[in-house]
Amino acid sequence: MTTPLIEFQHVDKVFNQQTAVSDLNLTINQGELFVLVGASGSGKTTSLKMINRLEPMTSGQITINDQDITTLPVRQLRLEIGYVLQQIALFPTMTVAQNIAVIPEMKQMPKAQINKLTDELLTEVGLDPAVYRDRKPSELSGGEQQRIGILRAVAAQPKLVLMDEPFSALDPISRQQLQDLVLRLHHRFNNTIVFVTHDMTEALKLGDRIGIMRQGQLLQVDTPTAIAQHPVNDFVKEFFGANRAKNVYDVYVGRIGLVLGYLDTTNVTAELSQIPEIDGQATLRAAFEILAKQNYLAVTKEGVLQGYLDRQKILDYLSRYTAES
Amino acid sequence: MTNLIQVFIERRGDLSVALWQHLVISITALVIAIIIAVPLAIWVVRRPKVAEFFLQVTSVLQTIPSLALLGLLIPLVGIGTVPAIIALIIYALLPIFQNTYLGISEIDSSIEEAADAFGMSRMRKLFKVELPIALPQIISGIRTALVLIVGTATLAALIGAGGLGTFILLGIDRNNTGLLLLGAISSALLAIILSLIIRWFQTAKPKQALIALGVILVALGGSGAYSVYANRTETITIAGKLGSEPDILINMYKDLIEANDDHVKVTLKPNFGKTTFLFNALKHDQIDIYPEFTGSVLETLVKGKNPKGLTADQTYALAKKRLATQADLQLLKPMAYNNTYALAVTKTFQQTHHLKTISDLRQIETELNPGMTLEFIDREDGLRGLKKAYDLDVTAKSMEPALRYEAIHKDRVNLVDAYSTDSELRQYQLAILKDDQHFFPTYQGAPLMKASFAKAHPKVVTALNQLAGKISETDMQEMNYKVNVQHKSAASVARQYLVSHDLLKGVK
Repeated sequence: MTTPLIEFQHVDKVFNQQTAVSDLNLTINQGELFVLVGASGSGKTTSLKMINRLEPMTSGQITINDQDITTLPVRQLRLEIGYVLQQIALFPTMTVAQNIAVIPEMKQMPKAQINKLTDELLTEVGLDPAVYRDRKPSELSGGEQQRIGILRAVAAQPKLVLMDEPFSALDPISRQQLQDLVLRLHHRFNNTIVFVTHDMTEALKLGDRIGIMRQGQLLQVDTPTAIAQHPVNDFVKEFFGANRAKNVYDVYVGRIGLVLGYLDTTNVTAELSQIPEIDGQATLRAAFEILAKQNYLAVTKEGVLQGYLDRQKILDYLSRYTAES
Repeated sequence: MTNLIQVFIERRGDLSVALWQHLVISITALVIAIIIAVPLAIWVVRRPKVAEFFLQVTSVLQTIPSLALLGLLIPLVGIGTVPAIIALIIYALLPIFQNTYLGISEIDSSIEEAADAFGMSRMRKLFKVELPIALPQIISGIRTALVLIVGTATLAALIGAGGLGTFILLGIDRNNTGLLLLGAISSALLAIILSLIIRWFQTAKPKQALIALGVILVALGGSGAYSVYANRTETITIAGKLGSEPDILINMYKDLIEANDDHVKVTLKPNFGKTTFLFNALKHDQIDIYPEFTGSVLETLVKGKNPKGLTADQTYALAKKRLATQADLQLLKPMAYNNTYALAVTKTFQQTHHLKTISDLRQIETELNPGMTLEFIDREDGLRGLKKAYDLDVTAKSMEPALRYEAIHKDRVNLVDAYSTDSELRQYQLAILKDDQHFFPTYQGAPLMKASFAKAHPKVVTALNQLAGKISETDMQEMNYKVNVQHKSAASVARQYLVSHDLLKGVK
């Protein structure tokens, strides 16, 4: 059951006579993690910022819960929407705790409750409150800073959170950790997230559904698997391909399932319970080690079984990988 | 160094008064400048064109020489503390405005975006985000302004606002390095200490900073309120021109008036300025009394042709009459001594050239190298008229009053103008040339006040009239010598004279 939360209807955005977004029609459902992906200048960030009116639209209509956003007082609208920036932009004069408390304070949450919440959230993201609470943003690493950036956006538990390329400035390890964090918080708070990125791998990992944008146009909106298997045109196919890992060893195991589909379980001859499990986020390097001894792999996503792979499937992917490049 | 310590010990009391005045003027100017500049800068942050305009205006204001600015303010707001504070505010605006403006407008746009995206109101964003980020820069602007203010405030003494500049002016005037250094060092120390306090504000916790700020404001407000309160009781303000002689005289006035009337308090403003400046201050009720000379009245303060060769009594009568009719002022009876202009040479020079009178100078016209005060050079009863009366053709170097005696002492010049009561005549062994043509008018000192003031204060008039016909030229030279050369305080010298001449009732 899907209930629409945000609806774009014929939305245009023109900057200095240049069309940034053209006739955007898009429905984002309640509770989904929706990823807008595209190269820079594709209009994805502009589309995102039109939702909380940081960018005014030129024409068309955006509704949230069937309410036209331009009819709401802008501050009230924004107070109910979390926001994570690419530049992180923690307030430098405030401590970590004060940064997290910014929105709860504006919502007049009692101080004791804010303190408790702050400590809980810090613990949740693996930062010891006793150590981190009173630090200034400048004393944190980039990854730590963006964790706080995310906590700041979700602390007041908004139903909707907007994230504008939040991890593009981070190193690959921090990026992965934070992607996992976003997924975790998404499940915990059961909120709706609109996530903008230029990284197809990130989009595939995070998105319940993905919208691909190019030059102000929304090309395709679908689940990761559907896009991987049925790209609407060559651009989407290219974009999908161009974003794969440089080194074949670093390809995610889950990606093979996305591209080729998993084995039909009727063909799996081994005892299912004895097949070793591997997370979809693991790389082929790990898969090779297992397949050297075993015939099958069970791919999971957050502990949930996605499907099975065998040596043949992997070799099939490898041969295509070479052909693609 | 020992001189400095000695001056410090002698002047402790004056110093603390001057220091307090300096502090009050500086802090008041600074606080007002902050109140004007910070909100203005915040207001223009979203209006870059207006901001550009204000930056230009404040920069232009900054380039006006401080002395000129003080001069410009006198016709508008008079003299004293008010114009001094206004001038200082004008100087402080630029650094505070500029730093606040830049501090806020240079905040990373992503931080502004975050604040907006979280639904912060304009005010909340300003106080929670923008001001805290810009604070270090704003404070450094305030520190720059403060150092500027404390330094420039030394000029406040020129327009009668007091402060540490009084010591510097006095030091220059009396050629007393100790006084000069005392003023300069105190002002520098004050700047450093205040600057440190402001730096503490920067690192202090907001709560402590607010408390400290509150204490400072309450102290200043209290002092302001006290001075308003103090002014309600009968206070008579007496000022004097630059130099030791007016300083001694006004101390005598104070003693005499206070001894005659217990309910009156006299405030002295010594070294208040030059002749016309004091005259204007009197007319504008900024001071009540100052000692003026009969000759100066006729020459510079009133209109009308001056007949030649007046006797002392005639000079006084004419000055008194013209002051009464033209300016509604009353000149009380003069003292005995005639502090007229004179030309002086060293005793050796006098002997070599057999000089007795001013007329004798004509023979050695080409050898003359005069150093004279600007005022003397430029006056009809000074060098200008003298050249005509004696048919002399000389050109004088203009010098500060105290410097010309140094100059003749060191043979840099060989002829100076002098007042007949100057202590330096004695100190440097100078000889006065006789005014054989009776060119210089009589200059007898007498208290000058508004006619209305004299009418309302008969006791004051009685008290001051006790000095009529007193104090000879030697008395005055002697007293000037004690102050200028022996560095005694004008107050004690004045008191000593009054006591020894039985002029103070009930004061031993």
